[in-house]
Amino acid sequence: MSEPLILAIPSKGRLKEQAEDWLADCGLPPRAAGGERGYAARLDGLEGIEVRLVSASEIAGALFSGEVHLGVTGEDLLRELADDLGDRILLMQALGFGRADLVVAAPKSWIDVTTMADVDEVAHLFLARTGKRLRVATKYLTQTRAFFARHGIIDYRIVESGGATEGAPAAGAAELITDITTSGATLEANGLKVLADGLILSSQAQLAASLGAQWDAARMGAARRLLRILEARARARRTATLTWPAEADAAARAAVERQVVAGATARPFGLLVAGDDVFDATTALADAGVGPVTVANPTYVFEAASEVTEELARRLLLQN
Amino acid sequence: MRIEPPIPSDVLAAVRAPFAQMGADAIDPPTAQPLGLILDLSGEAMRERLILVQADGGAEAALRPDFTIPAARLHIDGGKAGGRYFYEGKAFRAAPRGREAYEEFLQIGLEAFETGAAPEADAEIAGLAWRAAAAGGRDDLTLELGDVGLFGAFIDTLKLADALGARIKRAFASPRRLREMLERAQQPAATAGAAPAGDRLSAMLSALPEAEAAAVLQDLWALAGIEPAGGRSAAEIVHRLAERSAVARAPDLTPEQASLIGRFLAIADKPAAALEAVARLAGPGGAKLEAALKGWARRLAALQDEGAPAAAMRLSTAFGRDFGYYDGMLFEVRSAALGDHRPVAAGGRYDSLFARLGASLACGAVGCMVRPGRAWREGAQ
Repeated sequence: MSEPLILAIPSKGRLKEQAEDWLADCGLPPRAAGGERGYAARLDGLEGIEVRLVSASEIAGALFSGEVHLGVTGEDLLRELADDLGDRILLMQALGFGRADLVVAAPKSWIDVTTMADVDEVAHLFLARTGKRLRVATKYLTQTRAFFARHGIIDYRIVESGGATEGAPAAGAAELITDITTSGATLEANGLKVLADGLILSSQAQLAASLGAQWDAARMGAARRLLRILEARARARRTATLTWPAEADAAARAAVERQVVAGATARPFGLLVAGDDVFDATTALADAGVGPVTVANPTYVFEAASEVTEELARRLLLQN
Repeated sequence: MRIEPPIPSDVLAAVRAPFAQMGADAIDPPTAQPLGLILDLSGEAMRERLILVQADGGAEAALRPDFTIPAARLHIDGGKAGGRYFYEGKAFRAAPRGREAYEEFLQIGLEAFETGAAPEADAEIAGLAWRAAAAGGRDDLTLELGDVGLFGAFIDTLKLADALGARIKRAFASPRRLREMLERAQQPAATAGAAPAGDRLSAMLSALPEAEAAAVLQDLWALAGIEPAGGRSAAEIVHRLAERSAVARAPDLTPEQASLIGRFLAIADKPAAALEAVARLAGPGGAKLEAALKGWARRLAALQDEGAPAAAMRLSTAFGRDFGYYDGMLFEVRSAALGDHRPVAAGGRYDSLFARLGASLACGAVGCMVRPGRAWREGAQ
């Protein structure tokens, strides 16, 4: 039997729950595989896939080094691995949970500093006055360096933070910080404010593929089956099915045709429309005398082709 | 780590020979240098070029990326007023992403920490670097010259409002910011003269005398329960607000002035022609610029005496603007075969280094280093 495809999901905390809920919602609840203290699982109904429960930061590293084929982890952790993920990792699907922002924050007492341009100028003045560079405490070196470079800031230096980064300015260990925040409450409590243009990354959990892992036809086949289901469920969440008994006349057919032109997909006596457009569509149909229109949410919407899977296959071919 | 292959001993001896007549003490500073010190002096951009080392429980250190900071530290520790130091040893720099380069390589160099006439001392060091680089056998060398002090002196001739002039001088080291300032000045009134974003509080504070504004700001912090952090005093913050509002009130950079600055930064020519272009652009009346130009006339004459051929020299006003710690003349010896990003030799003046290292020494500082592996005609990278 061939080696399985390895899918890594977070092993603890809120991200673990959300990842498991997401898989269950897709109809693939992970079932703990006996033995290894609950750190391995399989997906009901899908052969050839081994689920491993690993910490989110280790998943990022394992995707980068090619120890796992697919993984669910925070985009902030992935982007920290290298300036350019291009040849190592492919982002397959943004999952909508695990949202957090990586931001630049300055002391609230600095009322003259609200933008990165202010930081640039203050950093320059700070260097001229003290002979020292403005210190930025962070755990996110790669992204901080790239962001500051994009803003043309040179007179600063990074102080690597091990623990509570937000405490660094009050403790005198740094002047600024960059850190992950969800509500900004922790920053606020530490006398810090987020700069107006200080958003480095709006992060969320991502399903990502490792381009450096050992791939073969069997594993690619397993990935294709898995991705098809995950994508079909994601697509279903974004769409609604509209059905009605029969189209009455030319005006009604024209109204349906207009919906198709606007992006809906035609069905016999029905339409598949984006969730946001449901009420616009039903109103237009009612105006043209089409009805009664029933709206339902599909469980899955399978398409014949998957762009992101094809992209993965293409990139893996290029790698070999 | 990619290590530079050995250099033939006769090539090494030839490159080393010009240093022997300089009357310098040989030094052998520690290979590992404190990381924090290097980053403070050279900036965060240097980090990706550093090779970090750390002993168990020890402070983070970097393998020396050059010998300037180590030599300056030895000099401070030695307690002498002045000194000349010669070094020959390995330096370490991680290869830039996507570029092949030796990461451990040999450097030979000299640092002169002395009082005395700067132009002649500059020329002596640049001439030394030129002769040592040329001793490796390459016949495609050029001497690229710059002076980070020229820009400030030129800006002074424009007689701008103090705050605006200071802002533009600060922007010199940040090409992008300066370009934005110049572009803004050359656009029609819609965006030109737009006051920097500021809230009512900033506007109110900048209208008060600074001492009073600082007191008000401290009261505000207390009222709002804000613990001042980040090492900036109320006085410093209100001073910046006042300066910013002075810039906003003062006449903005005119399109003509912006265009003059742009033309100044585009000057790159044979030294005599470049200096003439600077003088022509500035017109009479700038005492500081005139002094700088006179200094350059002496420097060029001395350089010629040192054996650097005029035909191989080029002076660019924008050269070196975003280099670490140079604050006066600076130079690179380049080989056409190796390209601009692989200088055979480099150096310059950095008088403020001691102050930045926390030492109050009255001496100036100028130095150079040569890469024998690049000077060697069959060498590379």
